[in-house]
Amino acid sequence: MRRSLAALPCLAPCLGLIGGVVLFPAGYMVYTSFRRISEFGVDTGPAGLGNFVAVFGRAELPRVLANTAVWVAGVVGLTLVLSLALGQFLHQRFPGRRAVRLALVVPWAASVVMTSTVFVYGLDPFYGIITHALVDVGLADPGTGPLKTPLSAFLWAMGVGVFVSVPFTTYVVLAGLATIPRDILEAATMDGAGRLAAYRSVVFPMLRPALAVAAIINVINVFNSLPILRTMTGALPGYDADTTTSLTFKLIQADRQVDTASALSVVNFLVIAAVIAGYLRVARPMRED
Amino acid sequence: MRLRRLLRASAAVLVLVAAACGGGSGGGTGDITLLVPSYSDHTKPYWTDLISRFERANPGSHVRLEVQSWDDINDVVRTRVQGGQAPDILNIDAFAAFAKDDLLYRADEVASPATLTDLQDGFRANAGIDGTQYAFPLIASTRTLFYNRDLFARAGIAAPPKTWADLLADGKKISALGGGVYGYGMPLGREEAQAETSIWTFGAGGDWVRDGKITVDTPENLAGVRQLQTMVRENATQPDPGATNRTPLLNVFIQGKLGMIEGLVVTPGQIRAKNPALRWGTAPIPTRDGRPVTLGVADHLMAFRNDGSQQATVRKFVDFVYDRDNYVRFVRTEGFIPTTKSGAGAMTGDPRLADFLATLPNAKFYPSTNTAWSATQGAIQSLIGQVAQGKEPAAVLAEIQRRADDASR
Repeated sequence: MRRSLAALPCLAPCLGLIGGVVLFPAGYMVYTSFRRISEFGVDTGPAGLGNFVAVFGRAELPRVLANTAVWVAGVVGLTLVLSLALGQFLHQRFPGRRAVRLALVVPWAASVVMTSTVFVYGLDPFYGIITHALVDVGLADPGTGPLKTPLSAFLWAMGVGVFVSVPFTTYVVLAGLATIPRDILEAATMDGAGRLAAYRSVVFPMLRPALAVAAIINVINVFNSLPILRTMTGALPGYDADTTTSLTFKLIQADRQVDTASALSVVNFLVIAAVIAGYLRVARPMRED
Repeated sequence: MRLRRLLRASAAVLVLVAAACGGGSGGGTGDITLLVPSYSDHTKPYWTDLISRFERANPGSHVRLEVQSWDDINDVVRTRVQGGQAPDILNIDAFAAFAKDDLLYRADEVASPATLTDLQDGFRANAGIDGTQYAFPLIASTRTLFYNRDLFARAGIAAPPKTWADLLADGKKISALGGGVYGYGMPLGREEAQAETSIWTFGAGGDWVRDGKITVDTPENLAGVRQLQTMVRENATQPDPGATNRTPLLNVFIQGKLGMIEGLVVTPGQIRAKNPALRWGTAPIPTRDGRPVTLGVADHLMAFRNDGSQQATVRKFVDFVYDRDNYVRFVRTEGFIPTTKSGAGAMTGDPRLADFLATLPNAKFYPSTNTAWSATQGAIQSLIGQVAQGKEPAAVLAEIQRRADDASR
């Protein structure tokens, strides 16, 4: 106990930071969700559950919730599968491996807004280079861009989501692969395990903790991701290509409802907490067996 | 990993420090902040020069300038006001919601009688609520139809359209030319859908307000929106108007790939800068029966009360902005229509303004003095594009009306 107290002065800056940057804003958000806030943030009194009623009364909510589920499951799932394959490939020795590994960092290092904007220009109906290619090979009609209809825009945005999530995940997988001792694999081979069998019963189980970390971080990141959708589907009318996060933003920007947006953020927070709790319970990724 | 954590922690500290140091409406008396949107590349140099002359003429006064893009300025203002860091003087389109929250000085508290009486009466009436003036009209703009003379010639169109029937026929003729060329550029994307929508509803004789109440779901507005949908259905427009923003589409017109588009008083300058070879013309906006109407927009200057200590400096600065020579230079720099009597007098005969000044008497404005308008505008921006995607116009207007009613409560 005394030792912990002695550590307090050293921890104080960190605790202060966590309190100031994480806890206070989160608490303030919960507080705001029960207040009536004017368009410019002037508090005009308690709202009770009014803001939550407003959130659940919105006609587009079912579609947006479904979109959110597809968005998170789709982007994270595809990212994990691709990263497992890519990690396996980059774990092999081959000439130029260092260069390939470095190149993988690029989508991660670049700003997400910039990456999305590059795609927005590429997919423009009039001068987009990707649109041109799609038209030339007969996959799209001239004059219309893939970002102009909700479904196709949403799928493209998911693609960009995967594109920017794969590097980090691959590096986590690579780190996990590096911790697997060679002799265990050799022992498996000696016991007659083929490549697939060795992967399924030796490599994959040992990757579980690394994958768990990657999955949780990705779920949080992807769930909260605004820039991709804001940049790529922001010009679309209606809410057919929105997740709860981009809907929160539209509530503030278009409908000027800071209070309703706070309520939706609180709902968002509860949903993500539930998703992660569920994941930890069902997949039990941290178990050691 | 530890390095990353360290980096992240130091980044967070930097943000905190920056937040603590930034903002604030200045230190001592005589220090004021000015927040303006960027109309063009000339905006910042203009204000910088004006401020340095103001500071020389008024020793002890300091004006801190902040320039923001139109995309961001609403968010910046909202964040600043929420944080108790409102600028002392703000240049933006709508002021009613600030006045409703009792954040603004009355106009007569921060300007001399001479400045107030020099404002044109029509604009001045649009700058107050219930007879009390809260804002200063700074610049105005109207829209006209811009058309591509080469495409008109190729499609065999002799004169620009006057009615919706002409517009529909001409749009179809130009779209039929093919080769990536389209008739009428219709930007119903989020950026400024309320402007394009207003052009159609005004063209049908509609209006957004009646007896102080926001009226979206009316027979006239419905007629306008139906016609807009007809234009899309019959391929007189570019594909997917519902998801097309104004700025990129205006560039497509400037590149010569659109027959027609509604442009602003600043559009000719953009054409000269980006594609001087374009052969274009401009004509009044076509309406249902050819009766002239246009969308007028006025931007305003307004002064925030804050702690009330800067009133004297703010007043001096507002008068300085509206000083005849300073004001005319500003309007000339940005290429807009003046809102003062002396400014209009100084600029009559300016050929660049002639087409637009002619439309001013027929201009209808957004009901920006109605406190529910900004939410209504947001709803139009979010929803109206669905009409172009085939959704029933009556249903869309009803939904926008519902949100306007919510905001009026």
